Amino acid sequence: MNKNFFEVKNVDFSISNKTKVKNVSFSIENEGDVICLLGPSGIGKTTILRTIAGLEKIKKGTIELNGKILSSEKINLEPEDRNISLAFQDNSLFPHYTVEKNILLGSERNKEKNEKKISLKEIVDLLDIQRILNKYPHEISAGEAQRASLARSLITQPELLLLDEPLSNIDQSFKEEIQEKLKKILKILKITTIIVTHDSYEAFYLGSKCGIILNNELKQFDDPYNVYHLPNSIEVVNFLNRGTLIPAEVTSPKSLENKDLGTITGNFVKPFPIGSKVKLLVQPEDLHHDDKSNLKFDIIDRKFRGTNFIYTLKTPSNAIIPVFVHSHHIHQHEVDEKFGIKKPIHIDHIVCF
Amino acid sequence: MRINFWYISSFVISLFVIIPILTVFSSFLDNTSNYYQVLKDTFLMEYIFNSLILLASVLILTFFIGTGSAYLVSFFDFPFSNFFKWALILSFAVPPYIYAYSLTAFFENYGTAYTILKSLFGEGNYNQIIPKFDGLLGVVLSISFSLYAYVYILARASFLYQSQNIIDLGKNLGFTKFKAFYSIILPAARPAIVAGLSLVAMETLAEFGAVDFFSINTLTTGIYNSWIAFDDLAFANQLSFFLLLFIFALFILENLSRKNAKYHFNTKAGFKQKQKIQLSGKKAFLAFSFCFLVFFLSFLFPLSQMMYWTFKFPENLFDLKILDLLMNTLYLVILSSLLLIIFGLVSNYGNRVNKNKTLNILSTLSISGYAIPGVILAVAFITFVAWFDDSVIKNLGFVSIKKVFIGSILGLVLVYFIRFYSLAYNGIKSGYEKINISVDESSYLLGYSKRKTFMNIHIPFLRNSLLFVGILVSLEIIRELPITLILRPFNFETFATTAYISASEDLLEAAAVPSLFLILIATFFIIITSKYILRDNYE
Repeated sequence: MNKNFFEVKNVDFSISNKTKVKNVSFSIENEGDVICLLGPSGIGKTTILRTIAGLEKIKKGTIELNGKILSSEKINLEPEDRNISLAFQDNSLFPHYTVEKNILLGSERNKEKNEKKISLKEIVDLLDIQRILNKYPHEISAGEAQRASLARSLITQPELLLLDEPLSNIDQSFKEEIQEKLKKILKILKITTIIVTHDSYEAFYLGSKCGIILNNELKQFDDPYNVYHLPNSIEVVNFLNRGTLIPAEVTSPKSLENKDLGTITGNFVKPFPIGSKVKLLVQPEDLHHDDKSNLKFDIIDRKFRGTNFIYTLKTPSNAIIPVFVHSHHIHQHEVDEKFGIKKPIHIDHIVCF
Repeated sequence: MRINFWYISSFVISLFVIIPILTVFSSFLDNTSNYYQVLKDTFLMEYIFNSLILLASVLILTFFIGTGSAYLVSFFDFPFSNFFKWALILSFAVPPYIYAYSLTAFFENYGTAYTILKSLFGEGNYNQIIPKFDGLLGVVLSISFSLYAYVYILARASFLYQSQNIIDLGKNLGFTKFKAFYSIILPAARPAIVAGLSLVAMETLAEFGAVDFFSINTLTTGIYNSWIAFDDLAFANQLSFFLLLFIFALFILENLSRKNAKYHFNTKAGFKQKQKIQLSGKKAFLAFSFCFLVFFLSFLFPLSQMMYWTFKFPENLFDLKILDLLMNTLYLVILSSLLLIIFGLVSNYGNRVNKNKTLNILSTLSISGYAIPGVILAVAFITFVAWFDDSVIKNLGFVSIKKVFIGSILGLVLVYFIRFYSLAYNGIKSGYEKINISVDESSYLLGYSKRKTFMNIHIPFLRNSLLFVGILVSLEIIRELPITLILRPFNFETFATTAYISASEDLLEAAAVPSLFLILIATFFIIITSKYILRDNYE
């Protein structure tokens, strides 16, 4: 039987006797895999991490790591006996030790390990925290504290690493660089990691799988491409906020009809009987701009996003549709102008609800 | 609930401290003698009134002196501000009763003030123009100038911990310095100031030496009289119970008024150190004058008075066995402080890791010992030991334990322990409150057990708090009077008891020598540890 490296089975995650996320099941197949849990603030993502770390108990289900039960209704392995490291979102560095001493305290845990995969220097260089090694936590910025905390967690080389919004306090300009470094270091050290974030781009980049937590449930647990392009519920679509749902009628196994857009062809992710009234997911990249097209809608908003513009269009039946256009596109349009949509419309994965 | 070492230790320590306190409570139901009726008809209202006036006056005065001086040295740079930073805690070295001796010695008829005036201006009828600081006013001044440092230290620590961000926020909102002080700085420091004032309140209500010296009838002297003069322990305990209720009412009132406001100081990175404001000209002079006046009145004045008398009557110096007194005092201080710190620490950690309601209630009760006047605690302890010896030990056929606990160092140290446990417990607790719970969690997640977290993370962090608690407890013990008077072994004297005995025999000049030594030892203690108490770092 193929045993997963880490597994959460039917667990209710609670804090202070209040259930935050119900009946959660997901797994990490191989050692070294990185997964991300995505969801809005206050939904219970941190509670999940705290529970996996052993800081909160469970009354239902089991949590297993490498074949060993960590938590169940009857078993609760103490945090110090789990070999799991959790980097808190808020700085939890020991205030009376320098950053260096803080990080070194982490290295004591696995000092008996024969093979030392990474040194303090390597981690320090990777996270660019040489300058702050001799400083106390109160003397450094929030972003630096977060990196120091990350370094301490990484140097423990735990069996499972839990990162709670690890890059939330890091400057946007530095974030991508740190993301890349983090991904690289996790791969080198082969540390199985669960990252909690509310940033979908971060989750899609770092995680080989993403879990979407909404309304007290784990709504979807899949690879990032599927989470984005093949969302399994309207809640997930609304949360990712990158598409719109418009009414349509299924006209054949490979097409449907919308009052404003006309015929749309493509492959249905989930089959629907012909004649079904559905809600079709239209994502910004599904439609293409064409000034020559006679299918034109009013522009009600235009957002410049650096690499592209997002035009928000309003159809005659008052549906709101977003469309991406490359920012180097020669012919730009202003709000209140007409915007042409290329026909025929073809969407590779037709997602309907 | 998991029963573990920390839970049991914490439980046992709290229970031990509570037993004599419960003895006080249990005797509330005992019959009282006729003294109760006599007192009710005569002085009870006076006792209550005097206690209330005393408490209110001392609290107002210590608040202004303590908070005012802490504000000046924390936020401003002016001549000698760094000196005052630590000099202002030296008042701790002067217990209220010694301050009372100094006040009397200076202002009494033909006292030091008279001598000064005479030497400056020749013979004259100065006694009529020299103000007399005796009676209630004398007690208020003695206690306030001796105890304001509680408010000063805690307020200053809190002011230091305020981030520049909140000060800047005030400026941004267009606040004047005064408005920023009372609407931002002061409310943020409120828990610390209230903690300081609570200590002052408890000390004031339990104060015996100065009140006795100025013959003011308060609840404390009522307690003492009902025990000494009428041998009515039950009524003495009832008065103590009344005092306790008073203290609890103050706590509850303060807690209710806080509502849901949080005063947790942010320990996150990003904390911005404050920039002190440089004062010059008239403002610098005023700030300097205020601090100097406080320093002079609280410390220099009693110290010089005691030195003056010691040099004026040097024969008293040679009548005392100074070395014996010193060794006795230090012996008690070291033993008791160590016990209090170790057990206070263990109990705090037990509470922190267990988060258990029973333990929480027990700990809350255990810290009420501080509100019980030392005299009543000593008597309650004797009562309990006698009862336990008669009803348990002797019934089991063992040899009497009375001698082990009554009139022995062990008994004395145990009652000190009970009396000052709340000081140690709360002092360590306030240190613990600065350690975010995620620090413990991080430690567990780094593989540290609860014991290792305690030893390797908490104790190093709490080092300054522990030193602070150590010095507070030491100072209390050096200055402590009634417990030592009642429970000390035969022929075992400390500086405090020697000073008291001389003063009570109207030999104020003879009280000067032990008082001076007491002040000097306490000053030495304060100076060597002041850098830890006042260190401007993360604590």
